[in-house]
Amino acid sequence: METRIRLLLLGTALAACSGCASMHWPWHHHKASQPVVSSADDNAPPPTVIEPQVERRKVKVPHIRAKDLEVGAYYGEISIQDFGAQPVAGLRLDYHVTEDLFFEGSYGRAKGGLTSFEELSGRARLLSDAERRFTYYNLSLGYNFLPGEVFVGRNLAMTSALYMIGGIGNVKFGGQQNFAVNFGAGFRVLPTDWLALHIDVQDLVFKSNDIGVNQLKNNLQATFGATVFF
Amino acid sequence: MTLRRIELAILLALCAALLVASPARAARELLQLFITQPYLELHTGPGRGYPVTQVVARGESVDVLFRRTDWYKVRTERGAEGWAAARELAKTSLADGSPFTINVGDRAGFAAHRWEGGVFTGAYAGATLVAAYGALSITNNLKLEVGASQYTGNVSDGYLLDIGLAHVFVPEWRFSPLVDLGTGWVHVEPKATLAKPVDRNDQVGYVGVGGRLYLTRRFFLRSEFRKYVVFTKTNANEVNEEWRLGFAFFY
Repeated sequence: METRIRLLLLGTALAACSGCASMHWPWHHHKASQPVVSSADDNAPPPTVIEPQVERRKVKVPHIRAKDLEVGAYYGEISIQDFGAQPVAGLRLDYHVTEDLFFEGSYGRAKGGLTSFEELSGRARLLSDAERRFTYYNLSLGYNFLPGEVFVGRNLAMTSALYMIGGIGNVKFGGQQNFAVNFGAGFRVLPTDWLALHIDVQDLVFKSNDIGVNQLKNNLQATFGATVFF
Repeated sequence: MTLRRIELAILLALCAALLVASPARAARELLQLFITQPYLELHTGPGRGYPVTQVVARGESVDVLFRRTDWYKVRTERGAEGWAAARELAKTSLADGSPFTINVGDRAGFAAHRWEGGVFTGAYAGATLVAAYGALSITNNLKLEVGASQYTGNVSDGYLLDIGLAHVFVPEWRFSPLVDLGTGWVHVEPKATLAKPVDRNDQVGYVGVGGRLYLTRRFFLRSEFRKYVVFTKTNANEVNEEWRLGFAFFY
């Protein structure tokens, strides 16, 4: 009997112990969530869901070179009112803002000749040599009003444009600075994408009293030029 | 310097420029764009009127060689070259599928841009004025401006160089008012006929009020009224008024 009771108590105690072990006590909780690994796999990484190792291709956008600026030189003839037609040379810088419009800055130099009076009178001189220097700059706005193409033979087509140009500037002549207005037209043809050839006709108008009379002076110039785009 | 020497200098400068600009250069990395629209039209020149001689089909790509105003010179996979309009190229995508974006100049650009420049005419102290300026945007409202002007009058001629800050009040408006403040230097060449004229160099300070009016693309009108104080070497400072009106562009 005693043995039976002992067995019963022992059995109850064992059942209680195993029941307690299977229960989730708060102080057991942390441990219970740990993955059960054998001592041999201690150093192995825990198995996880495989993340796709795909990185988006990073595209470096190379800088697109702008070729809106045009710089070059021109040479031609200018008819300085009362002082004869003289060679003129200059530099120009253009900035193409849209396909239609561009800004232009130009600087030119020439030297006035003799007036009819000076030619006929012999030795009389109205201006000194230094005063005969004709220098000017213009700040203008141009409009490509007839863009097109020029064909040379069967195989060569060059883009071109007939443009109108007008602006303001300054003319130094006869030892005086004069506010000047310029207007004219030109033709540009591009044998390559970076080279342009120009033919320009412009009138530089200013008020002056260099020969003692206050008058409006018209100075027409016709030039050939070459510019490069960059 | 004689005219001949200047001509020679110009010729040399042009030759140098030609050498620099010659197309024989090391190969550059070009931007590759993929056509996502049904097709991309290529024109023979950088303008809306030039004929379309080729099309690039959807899925094909082009290499962008360079840009001129709102036109891009591109090369197709087959090696053909042509000009594509910016607004068409803006519908293409980069190699990673993201859209290609371009700034072609619009009202948004007018409100927020980095550089601007322009030319003016007007009057400074009664003399006719020719001026040019350039500005760097510090913020959309605040600009650092540098200007150069020349004036020609009955009493004197002169040059002005100035540097200052301009504050644009509402840059996103089509007409945006501005105020500016700055300093500079004036060089005066008096035209006195009785006494021997003496050229003067003086420092100036100015304050101005004006406005900008957006026209189209990258263009806007700008007008301004300025008051200059010339810090002369005599007892009294000189105060000059100036107004100016001109065209400007932003980039």
